[in-house]
Amino acid sequence: MTTSLSGGTVLRWTLAIAIAIVAVFPIWWMLNVVFAEPGTPVSINPRLFPTSLAAGFTKVEKILTETGYLHAYYISIAYSLLTIAGVLLVGSMAAFEFALFDFPGKRILFAVVMLSLMVPTAVTLIPTYLLTVSLGWLNTMQGLVVPGLASAFGLFLLIQFMKTIPREMLDAAYVDGASHFQVYRYVALPLAGNALVTLAILTFLRTWGNFIWPLVVAPKPALYTVSQIVGLFNAPFSHTTVDVVMTANLLAVLPPLAFFLIFQRKIVEGIAMSGTKG
Amino acid sequence: MIAKRHVPHYLMVLPFMLLFAGFFLYPIASGFTYSFFDWNAVSPAHFVGLANYQRIVASSDFRKAMTNLLTYVAITVPLGIAIAFGLALLVNSFKGFWSNFFRSAFFMPVVLPMFLAATIWRWIYTPNLGLLNMALGWFGIPSVNFLNDTHTMLYALIAVDVWVSAGFNMVIILAGLRNIPAHYYEAARLDGANALQQTIHITIPVLYPVLFFVTTYGFISALQVFEVPWLLTGSSFATYGGRQGALLFPVMDMMGRGFGSLKFGQAAAYGFILTAIIVLFTLAMFLLRKRELDQ
Repeated sequence: MTTSLSGGTVLRWTLAIAIAIVAVFPIWWMLNVVFAEPGTPVSINPRLFPTSLAAGFTKVEKILTETGYLHAYYISIAYSLLTIAGVLLVGSMAAFEFALFDFPGKRILFAVVMLSLMVPTAVTLIPTYLLTVSLGWLNTMQGLVVPGLASAFGLFLLIQFMKTIPREMLDAAYVDGASHFQVYRYVALPLAGNALVTLAILTFLRTWGNFIWPLVVAPKPALYTVSQIVGLFNAPFSHTTVDVVMTANLLAVLPPLAFFLIFQRKIVEGIAMSGTKG
Repeated sequence: MIAKRHVPHYLMVLPFMLLFAGFFLYPIASGFTYSFFDWNAVSPAHFVGLANYQRIVASSDFRKAMTNLLTYVAITVPLGIAIAFGLALLVNSFKGFWSNFFRSAFFMPVVLPMFLAATIWRWIYTPNLGLLNMALGWFGIPSVNFLNDTHTMLYALIAVDVWVSAGFNMVIILAGLRNIPAHYYEAARLDGANALQQTIHITIPVLYPVLFFVTTYGFISALQVFEVPWLLTGSSFATYGGRQGALLFPVMDMMGRGFGSLKFGQAAAYGFILTAIIVLFTLAMFLLRKRELDQ
């Protein structure tokens, strides 16, 4: 293959770089608004690069100490971690059975769960809300977490991975006298480690970014998630300046961005798998 | 009688199934019941038959939301997939480090929580001081109030939506591209096919199942569009949909009827109307696919 600089090569690079700028620029711009002296008119400083680190950190400190932001961070982290733990536990137990064993009724149960992937969230949202209210779970952590635990998508992903576990490994464990639960705990779970990590990351991104459920089920300030507090900062009459609002936005994007930078490959592979094998 | 040896299996699937029944199957059943009642969550519900469904279909908000939705879906989904496909081809034309680099860069917007993407874009669209209007100003174009001008609102939404979702679809298409055996292309090259011919005669046909998946999935999620227009218009349960309802969509309308005017019966009925539309759409897609496969 020749590596000469043909017209096509130049076009490819120009296009790729231009699109990369469009994709990343809004995030970069947000960063620049935060790290700029407040009040400088855009005509002098169009916020194309950060100009004052100190000003940015002052804003971050101000938001964390003077508003309920830090508390919302705790809530969002608790909400995410509990959801991840629940989805992984309940999902892996069920996936273990669906992927590796046969029992009466298995096929019908599996079919019902998979059909649910086609039902839009819109149809279950309001009845689930009403159910949560009648359980007395409005404005509680369990109200946030529990309704989201039976993830059909998560089950599907784990089944796909667990199917590849060789039958002989399970049988060997049974011969050694392991109980059914022990086989799940000490043979299947460690072997599905990769899938569990992928699902954990995808669940994190989903939970952290969930806007609609916290909005309806936890409207009290004591249970505001990051998504809700960001919504308040951005509300039309919040009386805050752009740079403060952008600081609030930036703080909300840090955890998912950090996750992405660390777990890039797993995230991309997880999404690719759900698509190509679905 | 279920044999004793099956008990451990049932115990293991039980937690998932209980949660699934409680927070998925039961809400669907109860929602279906609510949809035939007039109920505001305070006073006792009374049966109204199909009145909720009739009232929704007859309302001007519903017609507005549906018109918006059809225009939106008809543009967003094909445009989004076309762009995602282009991005995947572009990324795939690079090797090694740069291929991964551009993939990550294009994927970045997907990582952003949707609510954040919407709020950042709301600021970019701001009249006069917003980034986009500032850039337009450099070329002497007067400021446009993108999110308050009924001529531009829908397109402003579509731009954000494509920006957000292109990377997601790109990753799926890219995985499909990388599964295409290289000898397909070698054979085509020997036959003298150029790059465009290879794309049309090899890439697209082989990739067809993947493209079908992203298109179907794209339709299903586009029909439920909610967060981005809700946040772009600064909506609340009291007022939503933006100026003259130019960004009013079915899910917003449903949420407003439920949490804004406490008509939970109507909101439940709305959910089922929307589901019926989505299911019909999906069925139509699958039938089309089946007919193509049979030919």
